[in-house]
Amino acid sequence: MVRFFRNLLENFREYITLITLLIISLFLISLNNKPGIENFRSYAFGTFAYVTSGIDSFLGLFKPEEEIIQLKKENARLMLELNKLRNHALENSDLRRLLALSDTSDYPLLTASIISKLPSTLDGNYIINRGDSDNVQNGMPVINDKGLIGIIINTAKNFSIVRTLQNAKLNIAVTNQRSGVDGILSWDGQRLVIKHIPTTFDMRLGDRIETSEFSSIFPPSIPVGVIEEKETEVSGLLSNIFVNPYADIPSIQYLFVLQVLESKQVDSLKMSLMQRDK
Amino acid sequence: MKKKYLIAIIIFIVLLVIQVAVIPRISIGYFTPDLILILLVYYTLIRGQLYGALLGGLFGLIFDLASGGLLGVTMFSKTLAGFIAGYFYNENKIDTNVSSLNFPLIVFLAAFIDSFFSGFLSGMEEFGVIYILFERSMFPAIYTAVISLAVVLFNPGRKFL
Repeated sequence: MVRFFRNLLENFREYITLITLLIISLFLISLNNKPGIENFRSYAFGTFAYVTSGIDSFLGLFKPEEEIIQLKKENARLMLELNKLRNHALENSDLRRLLALSDTSDYPLLTASIISKLPSTLDGNYIINRGDSDNVQNGMPVINDKGLIGIIINTAKNFSIVRTLQNAKLNIAVTNQRSGVDGILSWDGQRLVIKHIPTTFDMRLGDRIETSEFSSIFPPSIPVGVIEEKETEVSGLLSNIFVNPYADIPSIQYLFVLQVLESKQVDSLKMSLMQRDK
Repeated sequence: MKKKYLIAIIIFIVLLVIQVAVIPRISIGYFTPDLILILLVYYTLIRGQLYGALLGGLFGLIFDLASGGLLGVTMFSKTLAGFIAGYFYNENKIDTNVSSLNFPLIVFLAAFIDSFFSGFLSGMEEFGVIYILFERSMFPAIYTAVISLAVVLFNPGRKFL
């Protein structure tokens, strides 16, 4: 029996090693959402990010001056302001007064630099040089001077991971700024798309798409993109709306963390409901 | 035995830094060459299949930790890629494999398998197999294979040109 196993091990050791390693990998994948593993991942990428940021600083010799970064920051702030003003123009003034919309003109923007993009780009994640020490938290939106880029999904002491719009796991509640039609925006691997919108709904080419007030992860009215194509499904009842993002996500180097967390109250209500359902 | 792993890991760490910090700057669209995979195939063709699978697993695990991606995904795909590249290991043809056009072809195959499985395990299956096969596997594999030509070109014992 022992001899049999010894022969087996000698003759098939490559296969046994392969299977063992693959099983360990799959086991690790299954553990990814465990809090302990998440903390370990944060610590690991945060530690390695120091090395990456050193390289980035060296390459930063060829990057724009501080003044340009400041101007970009001002641009981003003005972009948010402008979008809010567009919304105000579209709203009925009486309704606005009735709803007593709060003034949200002060957007706390934190400048950040991308120190690494996941090389595979399968996940559409970036690592930025801001983290817990800058009060960056999971769930904070990330923008640039053109529009929305993504959301913070993991933080270490001095670094964070941003999940960009070009990530299939990020679904965002958006609205058509002109018509107010809502939908869910997602990444189909090539383009941003709002799926299954009834063809009778008012969605026209060139309409501006922004985050919806129904979003529980993003503040409302952050510009996302513009409708560039409308594709009617075979049934003729539903359409897929393709959106061209304002931000050129693959080429960005600088971005801003919007230091607001959306609807903690809604989140806590959702959490209560989920706990009640268990 | 330990020394041969140590040297590979030291080179790997240098390449890992370049891969994460520099390579995205030379990406073509969404496609980036995978230097770590080139190193993995190179060592596999010199040392054999078992070494390739083990090194692939180790490289993948460290890469997962350093990149902040899903833990285990790259470990899985690199283990498999190293194992497949190991089928081309031949004690009598080591020089031929690493210094001729065989090398980029083997890199292409390994990169294709690596990208396909990492894409599949990253939750891209909803996009369909065709999408993963071409957009996420074929084109990055071609890019990696082209970059791997540098290994052949700078190899003193190259078998062509």
